[in-house]
Amino acid sequence: MKEKVKIFLDSDILEKYLLGDTSKEENLKAERYITMYPEVRETYNELQDNLEAFAKTYARKTPEGLKEIILHSARKEQVASKKFFRYAIAASVAIMIFAGSSYFFWNQSKSLQEENTLVTNQMKSLEENMKNQLEDVRNQFIVLNNPGTKRYNVKGKMEAKELKAVAYINPVKKLSYINVSNVPNLPENKCFQMWAEVNGELVNLGVIKQFDDKNKLLALPYAENAIGYITIEPEGGNTSPTVQNIVANITY
Amino acid sequence: MSTLIEKHIVSLLAEKDDKAISLLYDNYGDTLFGVAYKVVRDEDLAQDVLQESFIKIWKKADSYDPSKAKLFTWLFRITRNTAIDKLRSVNNKSDKEVQIDVSDVYNLGVNGIRPEFMDVQDNLEKIESKYQIVLEALFFQGMTQQEASEELDIPLGTVKSRLKIGLRELGKIYGTTMTILLLIILLP
Repeated sequence: MKEKVKIFLDSDILEKYLLGDTSKEENLKAERYITMYPEVRETYNELQDNLEAFAKTYARKTPEGLKEIILHSARKEQVASKKFFRYAIAASVAIMIFAGSSYFFWNQSKSLQEENTLVTNQMKSLEENMKNQLEDVRNQFIVLNNPGTKRYNVKGKMEAKELKAVAYINPVKKLSYINVSNVPNLPENKCFQMWAEVNGELVNLGVIKQFDDKNKLLALPYAENAIGYITIEPEGGNTSPTVQNIVANITY
Repeated sequence: MSTLIEKHIVSLLAEKDDKAISLLYDNYGDTLFGVAYKVVRDEDLAQDVLQESFIKIWKKADSYDPSKAKLFTWLFRITRNTAIDKLRSVNNKSDKEVQIDVSDVYNLGVNGIRPEFMDVQDNLEKIESKYQIVLEALFFQGMTQQEASEELDIPLGTVKSRLKIGLRELGKIYGTTMTILLLIILLP
């Protein structure tokens, strides 16, 4: 420990610190040593006394009137800094109010924009829905009223003998609809699924879920010489029809 | 400098009471003016330096920490650095002009040294000039020890040791002067 102090005192950090010529690190080091080691503190105090004595030997009479000039500019400085302080407070308050109101308006505009997007999207989907429904209803009307429309009664077979459906096909307008009016109850793990064979390809028309609305017409994809099937499939539907479970077919 | 006055000034500075400036000027003005003059070697420049230094002292009043430095050390640092900066800016503007104006002989002759410090000045002359040159280079000309070593053509180690010894010698001289002064005052 003594060695460290000796090395420090032998270096010129303390003298540089005395004059205010130290770097930041040297400054911290000097202050640490002065606080920690009494010898260093003593040397530092001695240096300070010597510096004062040394400087005094160069004392020089200050010119007349300089004191008044200095006092005057110090007072001016004080007034200026007070003024500046006051302006700074006023500016800070103004900035805070501005920032607060900006945030408020920004936030409000953001939520309005979000609401606007939501409403627009809702309107678009409603419009789409309405268009689709209107189109569907119009097609149904055409099919049912057109004299060219052929009507096919579909009856189920095997365990679905009670299945009754009516298919409406219009080759002129190339529209086909089916109305399933009665379906027998199936075990819970089974369901009816509709298919259509269009140009040699089997198209899945989906699972028949509800027959509550017995007057509802379901659209079928139209093609020349198409065949519609209803099969019994496992709950949730199948990717391809189980041929042995075909309970009805509609040729149109 | 009595510690009592020093404490009083420090407390006035902390309160930003402008009486502090007046007291500082009365107690340290001449010494700081001497420091400024020693650095810039020009009466008018030294006045500017003293004025700027006092404004800085006043502005920085709340940053003075008595536990880190004595009041005079703090004042000295500010004045010395202001003077060195001033000298540099003037030298940058007109290198030659300042040098022509400067004359050490003239300076010593006219205003001289305050009589109350004459003893110290006399004693200072007793310090060998080799120490004094180093002290002045470092304290007033703002040289680093390295620069002083190059400028004065002395090895760096010698600069360091002369600084230490010079300061120690000063302490001794100042100590004896104070003792003599005290004896004069106490023994009528």
